[in-house]
Amino acid sequence: MIIKNMKYALRTIKVFGLYCILLSWAFVVVAPLFWLVTTSFKEKLDVYLGPKFIPWVDFKPTTRWWIRIFTVEKETLLRPYANSLIVGSISAICSTLLGLMAAYALTRFRFKFGFMKNDDILFWIVSQRIMPPIIIVFAVFSMYRALGLLDNHLGLILVYTAFNLPLSVWVIANFLNQIPPSVEEAALVDGAGPLTVLFRIVVPMLLPSLTATFLLCFVFAWNEFLFALILTYSRCQTMPILIAAQHFQRGPQWWDISALSVLAVLPPVGITIALQKYFIKGILLVGK
Amino acid sequence: MNTLGRWEKRLLLTPTVLLLLFFSIFPLVFTLALMFGRVSFTGGAMTINFAGLDNWRRLLRDQRFWNAVLVTLKIVGIAVLAEYCIGLLLALLLWQRPWGCGFFRVLYVIPMLLTPIAVGYTWRMILDVGRGPITGLLKQLGLSPIGWLTESSVALYSIVLIDVWQWTPFMFLLLYAGLEAIPKDYLEAAEVDGASGWKKFFYVVLPLLAPPSLAALLLRTVECFKIVDIIYITTGGGPGQATESLTLFGYNVGFRTFDLAYGATIAFTLFFMVLMAAMFFTMLTRNLRSIRLE
Repeated sequence: MIIKNMKYALRTIKVFGLYCILLSWAFVVVAPLFWLVTTSFKEKLDVYLGPKFIPWVDFKPTTRWWIRIFTVEKETLLRPYANSLIVGSISAICSTLLGLMAAYALTRFRFKFGFMKNDDILFWIVSQRIMPPIIIVFAVFSMYRALGLLDNHLGLILVYTAFNLPLSVWVIANFLNQIPPSVEEAALVDGAGPLTVLFRIVVPMLLPSLTATFLLCFVFAWNEFLFALILTYSRCQTMPILIAAQHFQRGPQWWDISALSVLAVLPPVGITIALQKYFIKGILLVGK
Repeated sequence: MNTLGRWEKRLLLTPTVLLLLFFSIFPLVFTLALMFGRVSFTGGAMTINFAGLDNWRRLLRDQRFWNAVLVTLKIVGIAVLAEYCIGLLLALLLWQRPWGCGFFRVLYVIPMLLTPIAVGYTWRMILDVGRGPITGLLKQLGLSPIGWLTESSVALYSIVLIDVWQWTPFMFLLLYAGLEAIPKDYLEAAEVDGASGWKKFFYVVLPLLAPPSLAALLLRTVECFKIVDIIYITTGGGPGQATESLTLFGYNVGFRTFDLAYGATIAFTLFFMVLMAAMFFTMLTRNLRSIRLE
């Protein structure tokens, strides 16, 4: 009886410890985000007079800055936001589509370029991801300068597509390896062309994975900073650049920049939560 | 399934290969060439003159460069290790399938998807000496505030802290996936043989977790070497040059003073370091595999 009680006590302690750790990391994750969101609802004085923590207790929340952002400052916000959306989604569609084509080719057909076979080609594509952006950016800057592609949507879309391609090829190739080729073979026997098979049979089966790939590419393009900083200066600035610039121009106007930051992190957070099932499962599959 | 013609199947691969050649092989060659030149802008036109090993000589004598190397290595070393440890702990805990596991899993993943500039900015507010919440709490406890981002001995660790906050999720996710991939019968077999919890962990779980661990460490190390956005927004490389990473140094030289050639030289050394790190982890993975085969 005593031993049984001890075991029970030990289990309780274990579970308690487990939740202590899980909850404290959850706190670590949430606290900065809480601070960011609440700051965008603070009056100037509430920011200046030292830290205020709890809304309605420590300070009275105001929607003043949010209203201002959507009215007076609409012009500053709208363009970068639209730029980010345009560049992010178009480049993500391109990376996913090109990645699908390349991954399909590499997993379903045999290639040989000199000593490079399928696996070597795949490795070469994936290894491009190792390249630090800073080493690429000098050449791209000089190239774009000559071609007139600086501060241009197309320029950014091209860079981001190339930048996300290794990832998308790798992810999609992993998914393709997991579906047995028997279905496709059956369709081929029935006389369907290979491209018909790709778009009529493979794509529908892969749709959740392709969505996950698209979203991942979108988030990376949405968040990217260095290329956008160097390759754009006014017309094509993206959200990260806008936030960084505001920060240096206005000094500690925390309320405004917090609201902008909330707007910037909204799409990634929304995507993660709304599609967590596909998203996390998709990433988990890749990990195998 | 070789029913596509030779050229048709190549056509599927061509756009990817072309784009990568255009945006990574060509730039690499260009940067290599740039290292041995001097760039001057006259009337808006860019000319490159041959300068021999000038850039390299300058680099080796440049205190600021060696500082940036050290800063980068320190950040990578500490941050990646901490991310691995915390990520492993969280993955192991959630692997026990506690109640609310799905909720924690989504929550833990969120930071890695947030815009680094916004993350950096958020932490800049939190670590602010004058109006930040941490200072407020320290004051209430009767302690003196710490200049998290303004004292040169502390700033580097604050950067590490932010990086750990944002990128532990990545380690967590990959390690969690690795744990989920462990066949259940392995663990059951160990239990039948009478292995205790710790024994199971050290002799079954840990060896099986080695390949995903190495993969996660490799990917994270490679990415961490490129750190720039968080530093740019929080300290701008300061105080002094206490947190200037190689990418930031390269950017400052190349695009603030427009010394493209010297910037390219700095960028290349970073590339070389990343390559070394990648090769190190690939070698470890190979060794691991050969041990397995024996």
